[in-house]
Amino acid sequence: MSVTVSDARVSAPPGPPPRLVRPRHHGLAGRSTWPISLLSIVVLGAAWELVSRYGLVTPLFLPSPGDVGTQLIAVATEGYANATLAEHLAASLGRIVSALLIAAAMAIPLGLAMGLSRWAKGVADPIIEFYWPLPPLAYLPLMIIWLGIGETSKVTLLTLAMFAPICLSAQAGVRGLSAERINAALTLGGTRLQVFRTVVLPGALPDILTGLRIAIGVGWSTLVAAELIAATRGIGFMIMSAAQFLATDVVFVGIGVIAAFAFLFSLGMRLLERWLVPWHGRG
Amino acid sequence: MLQIQQASVFFEGGGGRLVHALDRVSVDIAENSIVVALGASGCGKSTLLNAIAGFMPLSEGAILLDGVPVTRPGADRGVVFQKDALLPWRNVVDNVALGLEYAGIGRRERRERARAILRLVHLADFAEAEPHQLSGGMRQRVGLARALATDPKVLLMDEPFGALDSLTREQMQALLIEIWAKTAKQIFFITHSIEEAILLGTTVLVMSPRPGRVVERRELDYVRRLAGGDTVDAIRAEPGFVRLHEDLRRVLHAGDAAGRLQ
Repeated sequence: MSVTVSDARVSAPPGPPPRLVRPRHHGLAGRSTWPISLLSIVVLGAAWELVSRYGLVTPLFLPSPGDVGTQLIAVATEGYANATLAEHLAASLGRIVSALLIAAAMAIPLGLAMGLSRWAKGVADPIIEFYWPLPPLAYLPLMIIWLGIGETSKVTLLTLAMFAPICLSAQAGVRGLSAERINAALTLGGTRLQVFRTVVLPGALPDILTGLRIAIGVGWSTLVAAELIAATRGIGFMIMSAAQFLATDVVFVGIGVIAAFAFLFSLGMRLLERWLVPWHGRG
Repeated sequence: MLQIQQASVFFEGGGGRLVHALDRVSVDIAENSIVVALGASGCGKSTLLNAIAGFMPLSEGAILLDGVPVTRPGADRGVVFQKDALLPWRNVVDNVALGLEYAGIGRRERRERARAILRLVHLADFAEAEPHQLSGGMRQRVGLARALATDPKVLLMDEPFGALDSLTREQMQALLIEIWAKTAKQIFFITHSIEEAILLGTTVLVMSPRPGRVVERRELDYVRRLAGGDTVDAIRAEPGFVRLHEDLRRVLHAGDAAGRLQ
């Protein structure tokens, strides 16, 4: 690209620089949107500040940005509901990460098997198709009845919620493999296991990573539900107990922390994708 | 020696329609020969290649490689696909080394051997490149190198140059002749280009559709002359070449028309 540009500069006629053109575009055409997004955030933040400064909305409904900031420091240092922010956060992260690991460890092999074997698909399909459209809150009572109110029921709820997207995407990854690549591997003398390791698994990896990304999102949105079950720690628990005392500023702190960590996880997944499947989407 | 004996294939097409894809085709592919199957789409040439490769069983008949029946894909029959089917997560040299890896050859040796094959297809400088960085012709050369790396007895080529521009196509034909002269492989080559068939085949089989069968068979020596140093331009200008081209064209059209009427 840079070569083309410098060549153009060398061959440019004397006088004013030529008008640069590009093909007419449809949609975004790959152009960056972040300056616009930045503007959007600034405008929204300013509106929030103005609304609370001039008392247009009572602080009970909408605390000022300053109050939320002060409360953030207070919750971080002194804590809220018998635990500091870091402790709440550690409890929530522990649940999400362990549920993610358990779900991935089970759903990836099962999804791959379902993509490869008629039997695996036949056996597992009705179960997954039955439970995965259910909202986690609907089977939450069952978790409590079966597993009690400890950590197990919370992690199980999260695991179940995360399981389906990972499993279904691993399956889609296998189904999307090109028959030609597999045939090519077979004519090179690959055994079933070798073909699985060198062609099937790497080929399904982009879809598996997409599934993990979706699962993490589902995990965060299920977290508050999971921490409704007699938790004593957790960001979701913190939000729920703050809400009971109408401490809106603490609710805002909790929401902000969840948003920030959800964003960090998503960023991490994107980096993981760039590292594991740099070839994805090319040629 | 690859022997195809009375090979017939029936399969169920869309809507439960019975497709007679191959009708009692018999061909021998001897050492150091290139058998080209020429025909319009639907004439069964790809079905024949798939059967030889072991991707598809025969309804009747047999395919023997050195006397042993072919039942499944194996490294003794290398395939060059119409679309290159390279693995995008491996660089060029590791794509070429894939079959050697399957054979249990150590990393160092297999990469060395893959590099030697890449020299044969004039891609030595691109060993570390990623497939997406290569042009269509280069990717096809990597596909050819990958198929050659395991030193198969037979090379099966499924319209390998069909998607290339005509200039690249001529270069690839020259390269194939060069490699054939060096390795003396038995090659089964599919094309729908009459000129390609004449230039590359020691035997040309004209196939016609519905049912897929061989309607004409010619033994030629243009490819040997090209391997011996004659130029394509000189051969193209010969009256014999022009006449043959016309003949095959007529056979091709007659077969296609007859097939359509059935």
